[in-house]
Order: sequence, then C-alpha cells, then structure tokens
Amino acid sequence: MKKILAYIALAFISVSCVDLSIPPKNIVTSEDLLSNESGIDIYMARMYSNMPFEDFKYLAQWGFNFNGWLNSFGIEGTGEALDRDGICTTFTNEDTPYWSMAFTLIRDANFLIENLPAYKGSYPEPMYNHYLGEAYYVRATVFYAMARRFGGVPLVTKVINYPANQDDLEIPRSSEKDTWDQVAADYDKAIELMLPSSPKSGYSNKYVALAFKSEAMLYAGSVAKYNETVTGRLTGTGQKTGVRVIGFAPNEWQEASKKYFTEAYKAAKEVINSNLYSLYKKKWKANDPEAQYQNMIDMFSDISSPENIYVKQYTYPTLTHGFDAYNSPFIFRSPLSSGMCPTLDFLEQFDGFNHYADGTLKVTTGATNTQGDYILYDSPMDLFKNAEPRLRAYVIFPGDQFKGKEIEIRAGVYTGSTPIKPFFNDYSYASADNTYQKLDSYTKKPKTLYLSPREGSSQERVEADGFSMNAAGENGPFYDNGESCLTGLYLRKWLNPDPAAEIGEGKSDQPFILMRYGEVLLNMAEAAVELSLAGETSIDGSNLLDEATEAVNEIRERAGAKLLTNTLSSTNVGRDVVRKERRKELAFEQKTKWDLRRWRVQHYEGRNGLWGEEKNKDMYSNNTRYRFRGLYPFFSTKANKYFFDAHYQWISLKTFEYTIVDYYFAIPGNEVSKSKVIDQQPNR
Amino acid sequence: MKKTIFGTMLFSCLLFTSCDVFELDNYEEPKETIIGEVVDSKTGERILTDQGSEGIRVRMTELSWGDNVEHNPDFYCKSDGSFQNTKIFKGTYNIRIDGPFVPIVREDERGVPIANDTKTLDIEGTINVKFEVQPFLKVEFVDYPTVSNGQITARVKVTRGISNDEFREKIEPMGNYNSSFTNVTDIQLFVSYSSSVGYRARDERWSNKIEYVGSEFENLLGKEITIKSIKGQTIPSGKHVFVRAAARINYDTPAGSGTRRWNYSEPMEVIIP
Repeated sequence: MKKILAYIALAFISVSCVDLSIPPKNIVTSEDLLSNESGIDIYMARMYSNMPFEDFKYLAQWGFNFNGWLNSFGIEGTGEALDRDGICTTFTNEDTPYWSMAFTLIRDANFLIENLPAYKGSYPEPMYNHYLGEAYYVRATVFYAMARRFGGVPLVTKVINYPANQDDLEIPRSSEKDTWDQVAADYDKAIELMLPSSPKSGYSNKYVALAFKSEAMLYAGSVAKYNETVTGRLTGTGQKTGVRVIGFAPNEWQEASKKYFTEAYKAAKEVINSNLYSLYKKKWKANDPEAQYQNMIDMFSDISSPENIYVKQYTYPTLTHGFDAYNSPFIFRSPLSSGMCPTLDFLEQFDGFNHYADGTLKVTTGATNTQGDYILYDSPMDLFKNAEPRLRAYVIFPGDQFKGKEIEIRAGVYTGSTPIKPFFNDYSYASADNTYQKLDSYTKKPKTLYLSPREGSSQERVEADGFSMNAAGENGPFYDNGESCLTGLYLRKWLNPDPAAEIGEGKSDQPFILMRYGEVLLNMAEAAVELSLAGETSIDGSNLLDEATEAVNEIRERAGAKLLTNTLSSTNVGRDVVRKERRKELAFEQKTKWDLRRWRVQHYEGRNGLWGEEKNKDMYSNNTRYRFRGLYPFFSTKANKYFFDAHYQWISLKTFEYTIVDYYFAIPGNEVSKSKVIDQQPNR
Repeated sequence: MKKTIFGTMLFSCLLFTSCDVFELDNYEEPKETIIGEVVDSKTGERILTDQGSEGIRVRMTELSWGDNVEHNPDFYCKSDGSFQNTKIFKGTYNIRIDGPFVPIVREDERGVPIANDTKTLDIEGTINVKFEVQPFLKVEFVDYPTVSNGQITARVKVTRGISNDEFREKIEPMGNYNSSFTNVTDIQLFVSYSSSVGYRARDERWSNKIEYVGSEFENLLGKEITIKSIKGQTIPSGKHVFVRAAARINYDTPAGSGTRRWNYSEPMEVIIP
C-alpha cells in the first residue's frame, strides 16, 4: 500500500505547469522551409514536380498521371500522327480530370504567398520578390491549365483553413471571363516580381511568365471570339449559381477578346524586344537544305539553344522517360514502337511536293489519284527530294536514314505490267475500309500484288523478274500488326538520333522544350492579325500586319520554307497563313490539340478550318466523324522502281469524333454532386 | 518469434476487416417501371428519332436528395419515339426530355423560367407518361425507295411541324434569337443492315446527305426531294437493308449543347435485287 502511495506521489511530482510549446523536432515547419534558400528549393521542387506540364510524362487521353507510359502525342485527332491504340482518340476529356490535384498545388502557391512575408528579412529583396513571383507564376499556370479545360473555375486565391464553416470552404466556379482575368493578373504579378533570368536551373523567370502569358491570352481571346462562330453561341450559365461559367455574354465578348489579344501581343513583344532569345540557327546556312535540316534536328536536344525559354530537363538514370521506347521505328522496337506515325494530311501542308488541283499530293500522272498511271521513282526518297527541310527534320520518310540505318518502309510489291493504273477507282471516306488485301490482284490468281500480314517469317516472299525479296519493308506496314508503320511515315522529332543511344523504357533523357522563342513569334503574329481583324492598326507604334509578316518569315526562313512576298492581309486568309505556320512549326509539341480547341475548328460545322486554312472538310469527314490518310510506297518488279498510293489509314483505321460540347470538359461528376455551389457545364 | 509474427498477421487481418462485409445488402432493388412516349401535340403522332445521344434524351432526376441533386444517368428514346425503363428506384422524379422539338424547358438569358413542361411524378409500379411537343420538322418518304445497280434512290418530303412565326414566338424570349434558326440545313439518307437504322447505326459506306446553305431550302419545303445512297458504293445484291430519311434545322437542343437533332421518317426495308 505504501508503495502505491509513493508511486502516486511520484506521479504528481512529475506534473509540470509549463505548456509543452517546443515544436516537435520530427516535423518540418514553415520556419524550416521558408526561412532559408535550401528550404525554398525544397518547397519549389515540390510545386514544380506537380506542375501541369504536358511533356514526355503526359498523355492526353489519361490526363496528369505524371508517368511516361505509352507517351505519344499529336494522336488526339489533330491529324499530326496516328497510333494503333485506344489512346489515339480526340481530346474530349481526361481520364484523370485536372481538378482536385490542381487545388492542392494552388494551396501550395497560396501558402507561400501568405507565409513568405514573415521571412522577408531572410533574403535580399530581389530574391524575396522572385520567390513570391514564382508562387504567382505557379498559380497562373494552374488556373490557365484549368481554364482551357473547363472555362470558369473556382478562383481560390487564399489558403482555406480546415475546419471552418461550410460557407468558407465552398467556393463556386467564377465566370469564364473572371477566370481569364485572374490568369492575366497572376501572370502580371509574376512578371512584376520575378528576376529577368532564372536564379537557378529549373526556376522560372520574368520572360518565361511573359511567354506563357502570351499563350494563355491567345487562348482567352480566341475563345471569346470563336465561341460566337459555334451554332447557338457557346455560352451558358450555371444551374446552381447563375454565373456564366462558360463563354462570354453577347455584350462583352468583343471587348474581352480584343483585350486578351492585346495582352497576348504585348507580352510576346516584350519577350521579343528583350533580345535575350533568338531562333536556333547554329548550323543553319542560307540555301542549304541539308544544313537547315540538320539544324532543326539539333535544336530539340541542344540544351544551350538560344531559342529555349523554358525546358523540362531529364537526366539518366535518375529522372528519365521512355519516348524512344514507344515511338521509334519498328526495327528499333524495344519494347514497343511506332507510337506516332505522321499522316499524309500533315505532310501535305509542307512545301516541296506536287499536288492535284484539290491540294492533295500527286501520286499519278492524271488529274486526280484515280486517273492516269502511278508516277515511278528510282528510290522512294526521290518523292521527297525537294521537301521542306523542316518537314524532314520532323518526319522520317521511306528509305530515309535514322540512327545510322536506312528505314525501309514498303507496303508491298507489285509484279504486274507497267504502266500501273491506280489500285482503286474510289479513295473516298466511305471506302476507307477497302484496303489492299481485299484487292483482286492480291486475293485472286494470277497474283500480282504481295503484302505481308506480319514481320519475320510471316513476310510474304516475292520471286519475280529476277527479284527475291520480302513483300513488306523491314518496318512494314504489316496489315495485321498495328505496331508497324501505320501510315508509311515515321516521326523523327524528339527521338534521340545518336546510334549509340540505348532504347528502352526509362532510358531516354532528352529534354522537353515547354516554351520556345518560335512559339512566342507565332503568338505575337496571331495576336497581331486578330487585332488587325478587330480594327486596330497598331498597339505600340509598329504596324501589326508588318510585324506578323516578319515573324512568319523569320520562322519560314529558318525552316527552309518559301517566304511570304506580300504583307499579310487583314482578312481570315491572312490569319490562316499564321495559323497554318503554327500547325507546321509547333507540330508534335503537345500544343496543336489546344490550338484546334481555341479556334473551334474540330466539330463538323467548323471543321473546314482544321488545318489552319480553309480546306473542304468533306474530303475527310462524315458528320461528326473524320479520318486521316497515309502514303504507302510500293515496289514494281517490272519497272524496278517505286510508286506511291495515297489511302486512308490502312492499318488500325481510326475514326475520330468531336462535338461542340467537347470544347469544355465536363466537371468531374462527384465534385458537382457533393457541392452545393459547383456547377456542371450548362450544355451537358 | 513465430508467435509474434503470427500475432501480428492475425492482428493486421482484423485491422483490414470491416463489419460491412458480413452484412447483407438488403436495399430494395430498383423495380419500378416508367413507360413513356413523345408525341406531336397537333397530330398526336409519335416523334420519330434516333436511338442514341443524337436522339431524344430522357433525363430523370430523383428529387428526395435535396436541392443539390444530380440527375440520373441519361437514357434515350427508342427510334419510334417511345421509351421505357424498368429498373427505377421508388421515388419522386422530375422527367425532362430534349429532342428535335421546341424545348420544354425555356429560360431567358438570366435563367428566369419562361416555360417548364417537364413532369414530376411519384414512380411506383408502372407509370405511363406522355409528352406533347412541337416538332421542328416532319420527314416522310414519298413512296417506296428504288434500287438500281446497288444504289438506292429515295424521294423525301420535308414539312415544318411548327411555323416560323410560332417558333419565333417560343424561342425569341430565350435571348440571342437569330432568324437563321429555322433554316433547314441538311437532309440525310441513312442506310444500314440494322432495322434500328439512324445516325448511330448508319453504314458510312452508303449513307448520304445533301446540305443547304442559308435559307435555300425554303422553296423545297413540302416538295419532293430526291436523295441517293453514295455513288459508286454498291450495296451487295441479295441483301436486305433499312433506310431512313432525316432533316434538321439550324437550332441546337438543349440550347448551347451544339447538338442539332434530326427529325426522322419511318424506317423502310429495301431488298437489293
């Protein structure tokens, strides 16, 4: 008993009246992170690793999962490239919607904005401002990424503490106009605060923010303007709040669009006028297509390029991606291949080819591809001998060189007599399913057409006219293997050209250029033409159309394309010159799918503008659906020459579909149903 | 040692178990039925449509969840303008339909209601519901389609289900009215092996369309229009196919969705000789 009493007494003695106010040592506090430079580095690294950057770790169909599995792009019904899989589909939603993770990142930014001022004394003033600017830049990036997906979003501009009463926790979607205004305001704040050059690699700077601001404002201006071109005007108010969550009011769109285009123009001009950046021309030589071609290959991997404004870097073996593992030609298959096969429609945008009257590539001697005889070439590369150097830097042609090897692409071998008449008398959309393996010359006797269902031992052998060869090329196309060359063309851009580089998942470490000077020029040019269409002649003293023309020519000169001889006109035709240049220059950079959205040219009624210029949509569409074509090389044993057939995608034929509601993604259903204030899109 | 491992494993098993696992889900299964049809308020005829998201959309909302209720998953009318759902939970529902007719829910620019002809019903057992609407157009085959060389030729007549003045009277208060709304923009001939032929079930090899610019269709209203299946695409001889004609105006329903829905004719079976 005494012992127990003693214990109780002892227990009382150890009670203290001092509060336990020492912060626990095992928890990282704001003080640890925000009071010193290395703490800030950690804070920034966390934010940056969650940034919605669309690079080698983003697949449009899946959304932001921050992994590089099957990474391919340009396959979203943009017409740039095709892929065999279900991921090759129009950009109408993301499997992981960019919603809740966006707010996590916004919270990080808001937290920095609210708490950094307490540690102002720990840094020299420019650095303190820069860090604060980074937070605004992050927030602008997130709001921009959300606005172009959803229209108006909840503008959370302060840290919301939990628990709190329901009204403080719930923030409704703002109008689309207010959302874009917030994007502009956050970029402006970042531009004002950040240093003119990044203090460390990976950090942002003033000009990065300006460049992205020009891109974002171009989106906003286009949406405000081109929503009006959509049947029934694309706008509406939320059911719960009555706020105009998508689109602009009839009396404000015009003014808003002009304001945003002006902002885009001014931001781009500031980058240009800084003279800090220039187009990459290290190997470029006038009138030398070979040098121009090599120059445009190098620019995507040269980290010291003066064109790079903002780059996501990778380093083997710690931070890598698998772009080469999914998108290299079939002979380099490891473990997959052929993820991005450029289309013939894409190729037809470029200079250096002969065309029929309707603008399609000439493959026969007649007036259309069903008339005349096939044009014969000694080598398949002969068709491409005058191709624009930029195209050659982006695309591998049949018989071209890559990684020190010849890329053999051959659809089949024809043993019939010459001259050769076109295989089909109808190449229309409706007969896209009529493929080579259904031709009588392939299925019936006497057999004159040889094709291969698969590679290796499944290759058909051709023994004729002294030739003994496989029917298909080493890379296909093989009609039963969607992993072969689907369109007759392969992607070159971004792939590592070094023959010694090993291909494999997690083996690639090329950088991804998120923003380059070329885009800034095109942003400026497009905003300038749009402003000119809106009745302006000059914003800062210089003539808008002259500047746009000059910018397009700068891009074209470097690309080895034909230069504009006249100043762009203040018409839709003039605007389309800029749009088309943008589609060509920025192809396969994860940008085009957004351009098509903001131009509102992907649904049937607006689809004439899909290629940036007016092109009859009925050539490749059927109401909501559309398809793309390939260019298939064949070998004639009688002539010992090659010829080409232009046909709708022969293997894994993809049919795309897009309707007007897709211009704004649906808000995730669970977010709508659990909240009293979050509105679904009114047109869904 | 072994005992500790065993104990830990047993403990963690219990940790991951929830008592719900052992409970029977005794929530009553959805077994109420709604049978509905959509008819022309003038003639009483069914509004023919397509079976799919371009047809007549039926949107039911169960109201007992309070003001923040999300609608049930949408479903669509059958091609004959009727609908039926036999797996509905008992409850009070609001039923709204959208299709190629004057919207039954009309609001002005600020969301102030002008008209609301949706139905709110207690659903228990089998409930029949009938919506009377004003279709934009009426589409019919003039006579039996003919076939030559595997190509179908059909003659179609399109008339208005609602006059331009009536349409304007109903739609104009919703704001942003445009006189181009009433223009007929296209006529379609859908061909398919399936008897539920329509936009969704069409065969792209043969289905064809004629598009009209501006108000150029105005003079063709009530007249016979000839439309053929795609030239050069021969439908194999001996096959039975189904055809339907459809036409639409330059007005999307529900407003802002951009989906301009077609009014359809009855399907017809055609034997290819």
